[in-house]
Amino acid sequence: MPVPGRRVAIVGMGGAFPDCSGLGEFNEKMFAGKALIREWPKAVEYNKQIRSTVSGYITEAEMGLEAIYPIPGVEYPETYVDTLGRIPDINLATADMGSVWAMIGAKESIEMAGWTKAETESEQTGVVIGSGGGGHQILRLAWHGFFELKKKARLAGSHTVDRTMAYREAANVSCLIRNRGVCESIISACATGLGNIGYAYRLIKFGLQDRAVAGGVEGTALETFIGFDAMMVLSRGFSPAESSRPFDLNRNGFVCSFGAGIVALEEYEMAKARGAHIYAVIDDYFNNSDGDGNMFYPSSDGQRRLWEGLSANVEIKPEVVKVHGTATPVGDIIELLSVVDKLGESGYHVSAPKSQFGHMLGAAGSVELITAVMMLENQKVLPCINSDTLNPELETFQKNPNWKGSLKPVSEYRHLIPKEVIAREINQVVCLNYGFGGTNSAMAISRDI
Amino acid sequence: MENEELERKEILDGLLEVLRTVRTIDPARLEGITEETDFLTDMDTPSTELINIAAKVEQKFGVEFEDDDIDDLGSKVKDIINLIIKAKARAQE
Repeated sequence: MPVPGRRVAIVGMGGAFPDCSGLGEFNEKMFAGKALIREWPKAVEYNKQIRSTVSGYITEAEMGLEAIYPIPGVEYPETYVDTLGRIPDINLATADMGSVWAMIGAKESIEMAGWTKAETESEQTGVVIGSGGGGHQILRLAWHGFFELKKKARLAGSHTVDRTMAYREAANVSCLIRNRGVCESIISACATGLGNIGYAYRLIKFGLQDRAVAGGVEGTALETFIGFDAMMVLSRGFSPAESSRPFDLNRNGFVCSFGAGIVALEEYEMAKARGAHIYAVIDDYFNNSDGDGNMFYPSSDGQRRLWEGLSANVEIKPEVVKVHGTATPVGDIIELLSVVDKLGESGYHVSAPKSQFGHMLGAAGSVELITAVMMLENQKVLPCINSDTLNPELETFQKNPNWKGSLKPVSEYRHLIPKEVIAREINQVVCLNYGFGGTNSAMAISRDI
Repeated sequence: MENEELERKEILDGLLEVLRTVRTIDPARLEGITEETDFLTDMDTPSTELINIAAKVEQKFGVEFEDDDIDDLGSKVKDIINLIIKAKARAQE
């Protein structure tokens, strides 16, 4: 249970962001309203085997990494070399690309937080980081060698387990920073990023830890991409920058992207006492499930209960709602109308950062929480680019006699959905993320004033 | 006798080429390596890396080790050299 009076501050951030050299450039490009989505040469190579070829991908070179291949012509990255000297070789040997990003993000977050070595290595410092998928890139070639090429198991190397296990990012970060507190992962599809931070928030709020490095990761992997391509849920037919279009009438799917968002959390009074910069205070976190037995379809009822849970113990009156907003045909509008149902028809803005960088899957919630912190810092709302045309007609589900929400078409809510960056006073942002299986998560953060 | 020494020297040179590709081994520790050098105690090699070295050696020298051989493998350089010679001889039988 929460310990009365205990609050949680966000004191550091870091990670990996598409088409950006780091957090600074990410901040700059996001608030310039730019799209970070590009045509992905690796996907294009597969020609007609693949339906969508745009992504917010990140290459090894862009992260200052060089892959070492055991045999020329084989795609299996045996290990990585950090050309910028941030991560020791011994840690790189046990990491897939996403885990390397997690370690880089963790180092950046801790440095920004200003934690001492003793604080970082304390029993009161936890690591809670996860990703949506497995270590697909590593597993594919390990399995192919064994099952198809009939090679001995050991030819896959002795690091297949540590580089692909479900909690590999947390494990690698923990080994790097040598914390003595908890080391765990929360895995909840596209709610993973926010779920890990929410869980870490509770560890501190409940008095179990004083600090935590938390977040979500999704390492670039075509192996991950093609799973969604097969479902025909990815955007196609637009230029890369116009491909992710939440709320737009002509949206036809999401852009599968990759990245990492890591934050440093600390008990508020401790952070304040040592003079740390408080980037934001977490007001509360709540998560639940739809309970309707549907793996994919969003639930208006689940989202209504999500808002109720989030508002149960704290005042929720945000100037910005950072929505999940993937640009799939059904999800966006159900989500928007749930927001309207809770907050009314004016007084706030809806921000959909996926419109700029796509859907980072397991990293989505954490990278988007970082964008929410940046909105508080900059006092500007990130836009929903490409939301050019809002449907002037009612959605099909709004015509269902059992529909209990708004009976206005989406075009009536244009004033809530900015197409460009806008400046305004922002004291609170609510972040929403959902995942396959009907999992819903919400976090409210505020300025430290 | 001379041929055997020459063969062991050639294998050691090949083994060094393999070891230089193992990122968890400090290249400085490869200076002055002998057959008596111990991977674990002298070179601080993580124990999990030994199996990777064995797998790389198999590819480098075109041999295949038996699982029992790997299970019994010692941690000194000479142990791997002996294993390579054994595997080569077995392949010629």
